[in-house]
Amino acid sequence: MEQAILFEEFARARAPQMANVLGLTMGGPTVIAHGTDEQKARFLAPILSAEEMWCQGFSEPDAGSDLAALKTRAVRSGDEYVVTGQKVWTTFAHRSKWCMLLARTNPDAPRHRGLTYFLMDMEQDGVDVRPLVQITGEAEFNELFIEEARIPAANVIGGVDNGWRVAITTLMHERAGLAFALQARVQVALAELADELRGTTDPLIRQRFAQVAIEAQALRLLAYRGLTRGGEPGPEGSLGKWLWADINQALTTLALDVRGADAQVVSDPWTFRFLRARANSIEGGTTEILKNIVAERVLGLPRG
Amino acid sequence: MNFDLTDDQREIQRTARAYLGERYTPEMVRAIAFGGRPDPYWSEIAELGWPDVADLGTVELAVVAEELGYALAPSPLASHWAARLLYPGLQGRGTLAVDGGPAPHADGADVVVLARDEGVFAVADPEIEPLRALDATRPLFAVRANGGVRVEVPPLAWEGVAVAAAAEAVGVAARVTGMAVEYAKERRQFGRPIGSYQAVSHACAQMYLETEGARSLTYWAAWALDHDPEQAPLAAACAKAYASDAAVHVCRSALQVHGGIGFTWEHDLHLFLKRAESSARAFAAPREQRERVAELLLRAT
Repeated sequence: MEQAILFEEFARARAPQMANVLGLTMGGPTVIAHGTDEQKARFLAPILSAEEMWCQGFSEPDAGSDLAALKTRAVRSGDEYVVTGQKVWTTFAHRSKWCMLLARTNPDAPRHRGLTYFLMDMEQDGVDVRPLVQITGEAEFNELFIEEARIPAANVIGGVDNGWRVAITTLMHERAGLAFALQARVQVALAELADELRGTTDPLIRQRFAQVAIEAQALRLLAYRGLTRGGEPGPEGSLGKWLWADINQALTTLALDVRGADAQVVSDPWTFRFLRARANSIEGGTTEILKNIVAERVLGLPRG
Repeated sequence: MNFDLTDDQREIQRTARAYLGERYTPEMVRAIAFGGRPDPYWSEIAELGWPDVADLGTVELAVVAEELGYALAPSPLASHWAARLLYPGLQGRGTLAVDGGPAPHADGADVVVLARDEGVFAVADPEIEPLRALDATRPLFAVRANGGVRVEVPPLAWEGVAVAAAAEAVGVAARVTGMAVEYAKERRQFGRPIGSYQAVSHACAQMYLETEGARSLTYWAAWALDHDPEQAPLAAACAKAYASDAAVHVCRSALQVHGGIGFTWEHDLHLFLKRAESSARAFAAPREQRERVAELLLRAT
């Protein structure tokens, strides 16, 4: 709750995104839920102070929505694990100290049961970070090439071969916590667009603006209702992430439409925002996967 | 901070769900809507105190209104509330007609409140003529009246009307989402439940998203009317616009999920669809509510 209020106030003050957002919203909560006392003592404080930045190594080139298909291998060798594989879409990898790494420790087990959740030190020779230039022209994400990187066994979170459960905790916090921060940013973007549209008489633009504003209110309230229920965020968090993606895409599209022919010229942040928003319905769980989660886990519909 | 109903409000919800569900069975709803049977429960509902909006908080009113929609109750309660919110001095049972439009349940009303451009007027026993209503669970009447007593409308009364209508739409959306989900689990084609196909399951997920969004906005607006009047005009317009749309979207999509059976007179789905389509267009349609939102947010400073 306090984190939610803080994010809202940061957004309202139009402050830049908080440093170490992945550590704060995902890494910290995961260590709190599944870490040992030693791990909590070691990792939590530097997350809060942003002395140690965090990134997330889940997705792979051949394991996106089907995350459990991941191939990165971790083999025990004495007191440590030796890891080899490739990760992709690793936000902030180039500035991070720790990577929340999901790797296969038991290739013979059913695929969800052979995964382990590690905290990997990014500052080592076996880890090569290559920026991935995206449609905005910026490189916010990275590819991660891991060649015999070393991770102490003490950095396993939640037990060997129990990584899927731990990863679900991270993903639920990503959808609930991060979506909360992002919904606050939607409110700010909406206020900016309102300033621009003040006094406009075009009924179609007024209708579209109002619809986005209404949905943004619904998103804010859904996020608060999730907090009231308390405890670990559940599958309903998927609703917020899904709705947020829809709203941010509609909002940035509206801004470009308002510019009309001028939208062909890149002259303000809305072009970047529009392009960046294309990823909203893909990153952190595609809208299709989120609909599956709502259908199966909330409504109890049978799996396809 | 708490964004959930209180224990007392939950108790009202449970009571209303059980009370309305036991009385307004599908058979009774049809008997009243199509069989000419008078609604036998008004005096009982009056004894529960529900018609007296002054005794209910707006959140409590929304809780009961949601259950009226959930039960598809063919009760004059909702139109009485609308009249009573605009005209607190109303004695007996009322109903409301806006801009020369139809008045629901005017046949049993003691007073019809007429909202016109030049003001709001209360008329006792006006001349009425039955119309053929799209939603037969809510009989409509044309009202012919001149003059009447000019009514001083209290602040935020129209917002209260919008919130009650939004809450009823939430009830319709919730009930029909449940019907679609249950049907998608039972109905099998190509050897599997149709709910295992994403074309169907994603439609159901969309129904759930819109129902929950509508519920969030409606209770925010209800709360704002009681505790944050400055926010109430925006919140009420957001709630009515989104909830009316949600109920309409859910009913249309649920009909598609049901396939042919949902198109039959025998199935109850069309009764909900007609309630949703009809109510969405009463007391300011979503398009007008969105214009109100734009007016509030895009006002020149």
